[in-house]
Amino acid sequence: MADIGYIALFLALVASIYSAIAFILGARGKHPGLTHSARNSLLATSGLVSISVAVLVYALVTHDFQIEYVASYTSRDLSLAYLLSALWAGNDGSLLFWAWLLSLFATVVVLQKRDIGKELVPYAASIIMVIQAFFLILLLLVSNPFQKLPFTPAEGLGLNPLLENPWMVFHPPTTLAGYVGFTIPFAFAMAALLTRRLGDEWLITIRRWTLLAWLLLGVGNITGAWWAYVVLGWGGYWAWDPVENASFIPWLVATAFLHSIKMQRRRGMFKVWNMVLIILTFVLTIFGTFLTRSGIIASVHAFAETPLLGNLFLTFIGVTLFGSLGLLYYRREELTDEAETESLVSRETTFLLNNLLIVGAAFAIFWGTIFPVISEAVRGVKISVGPPFYNQVSGPIFLAIILLIGVCIVIGWRRASVKNLVGNFVWPLLVALMLGITLLILGIREWYVLIAFFVCNFVLLTIVYEWFRGTRVRHQMRAENYLKAFLGLIWANKPRYGGYMVHIAIIFIGIGVIGSVYDVETEATLIPGESMTIKEYTLTYENLDSYETQSKLVAAATLSVYNKGKLIGELIPQRNFHWRQEQWLSEVAVRTTLLEDLYVILIGWDKDGTTAFKVHVNPLVVWIWIGGGVFVLGGVIAFWPDRRELPTARKPRARAK
Amino acid sequence: MLKKKKFLIGGIIVFLTIGYLGFIGFQSSATYYYEVSELLQQGSSVYGKNVRVNGQVAPGSLEQEAAGRILRFTIIDREESLPVVYQGHVPGTLKVGGDVVVEGYLNPLGIFQAHTLMPKCPSRYVPSQ
Repeated sequence: MADIGYIALFLALVASIYSAIAFILGARGKHPGLTHSARNSLLATSGLVSISVAVLVYALVTHDFQIEYVASYTSRDLSLAYLLSALWAGNDGSLLFWAWLLSLFATVVVLQKRDIGKELVPYAASIIMVIQAFFLILLLLVSNPFQKLPFTPAEGLGLNPLLENPWMVFHPPTTLAGYVGFTIPFAFAMAALLTRRLGDEWLITIRRWTLLAWLLLGVGNITGAWWAYVVLGWGGYWAWDPVENASFIPWLVATAFLHSIKMQRRRGMFKVWNMVLIILTFVLTIFGTFLTRSGIIASVHAFAETPLLGNLFLTFIGVTLFGSLGLLYYRREELTDEAETESLVSRETTFLLNNLLIVGAAFAIFWGTIFPVISEAVRGVKISVGPPFYNQVSGPIFLAIILLIGVCIVIGWRRASVKNLVGNFVWPLLVALMLGITLLILGIREWYVLIAFFVCNFVLLTIVYEWFRGTRVRHQMRAENYLKAFLGLIWANKPRYGGYMVHIAIIFIGIGVIGSVYDVETEATLIPGESMTIKEYTLTYENLDSYETQSKLVAAATLSVYNKGKLIGELIPQRNFHWRQEQWLSEVAVRTTLLEDLYVILIGWDKDGTTAFKVHVNPLVVWIWIGGGVFVLGGVIAFWPDRRELPTARKPRARAK
Repeated sequence: MLKKKKFLIGGIIVFLTIGYLGFIGFQSSATYYYEVSELLQQGSSVYGKNVRVNGQVAPGSLEQEAAGRILRFTIIDREESLPVVYQGHVPGTLKVGGDVVVEGYLNPLGIFQAHTLMPKCPSRYVPSQ
């Protein structure tokens, strides 16, 4: 059975290489027959990789422990969902999953009906197939998920209990799909460079692909943070770990790209810059994968140190980066901007500044992440930088970016008049100031917190005010009620209002992050009946209950929670011993309100009944998850197929000389 | 031309600001990262300095006190060993024989006072053998 999977991968490699060559030859020599066979070959690649995924899934579900991968990541007691999630739980499986997603995306690319960008497809498909071939080579040479053991174990090692969490079924595939998704815009960018069709068509073709990949990677990051918060039990959600950074950096660069392609569509500006951004985004996704798999940088996530895998990745990154930048340099003459920024006070400036800041933040985070490697190469000592570095650098930058969101909305294209500026600014500004003063009265004294909340409130109000004005106009013009007018407004211009919603989501997340300034934590050792206090909460330790299940020994402590003397509920943190992995794992108990989280960890206990707890009160954390929800909603609205896409897409063409 | 200059100056200001923020942040959080034997080679010069040390949790060395709030263990590399004391929540992924990065300082008694434990969970991408 396993052989079928391996053979399918090998045939897929042959088909993908043929497809990559035939696409180019067919398109260059104008042989429709050859292009057609390249297309079929691409579909065959996709089918073959699907077969090998099916073989692995079948092996996982039927507990075929002779396959090393199955024995390493599953056991008989796992439920079906976790058995399936084992497909991406390990290095080899997740690379196969990657290759599979890429082949599916490639299939969609060639099957999609399109009016614009048809000429680009063969070239883009060829590039996708080259990348596909690279991943297939990795699978065949280094990370074979079908590797057989010399014997068949009676039972597998089981899934890491940390990964036995509903969010873990969700987080890796979304993150990976986001990573893989950026291959498509990159391929079209290269196709545009190769064919010299450097107008708007490639941008039109990739807008929704980029949005999809960006959305998935964003969701992947947020679910990863959520998982860290509820499972890892250290009280936080983001540790600036190299692996977290590795998926955050390409997301940032892609954010810059999504904004600056809008400038190219509208004004014909930033053409070279856009190419650079999409090349960087793609290379950074590969770099992120390299970082996760090569063991080059110490991280809490542990990795197989397989030098060959690392070297193959480095070679691929080098070839991609220099190849694509070289091609860009070669075509630079054809990428001159059609317009210049006319005024310092204009929407163009805010976009430019936003791009500089986002890329600057991405660069700073990148620098911090790879610093241990650089310092070792230069000075022979490893120096790593911790969370304070990232917080101090990115905090002010992100705040400035949020401020720009607000400024951008009220400022017009080209040149803004002072009068309309004041008109748009004044209400949000006044209300935000009043909220700021309220916070001051409520006892918040840290100047940077006051500034941060003021900025967030101001920008939030600007967006709300903009929505309100749009709704009012529609209400008056069409005599619709306010709700209908509001929904109609969103539906009439989905990319724009979806974008606004994503901005609101970013502000919510920002508010949640700012709340972390006021995190408090305390530790206590209690015997049943004793209490501890943190802020206005009193926690009384009732008892420690323990029982065994098939997979673990469960120890659950019950605490009664009082707020200012009033009983508000029970929290039951657990600490469980997982037999198979011989591993203790805490399960935190969290009580969430819109204002703050009460987060309790059971640390351990002595035989005499004294039990140790760690308790955090984390203000405003829930806004990060609410922001995540709004992010998805806004992203989906912006992504939703829009019939108006074609006419607006033609507009800039009419303008072009 | 004047406009271009303005934008150039603006861009330079933005990058200098980011660079400055980075420098300040770097000064406050740059930490040496050693293997166990590398740390011990530094001698008394590292006493009290915040450093990160990578090593393996020595078999049989894990001891808990005060209901699990205080943890003692030894980390080793191929040559040397280092006793570590840690207070706080112990991540579930800390395992005997597993790799761990500890952050804290070495005191003159030769005991490493850790304030952060970062176990590398070996089962995420590699099966524990």
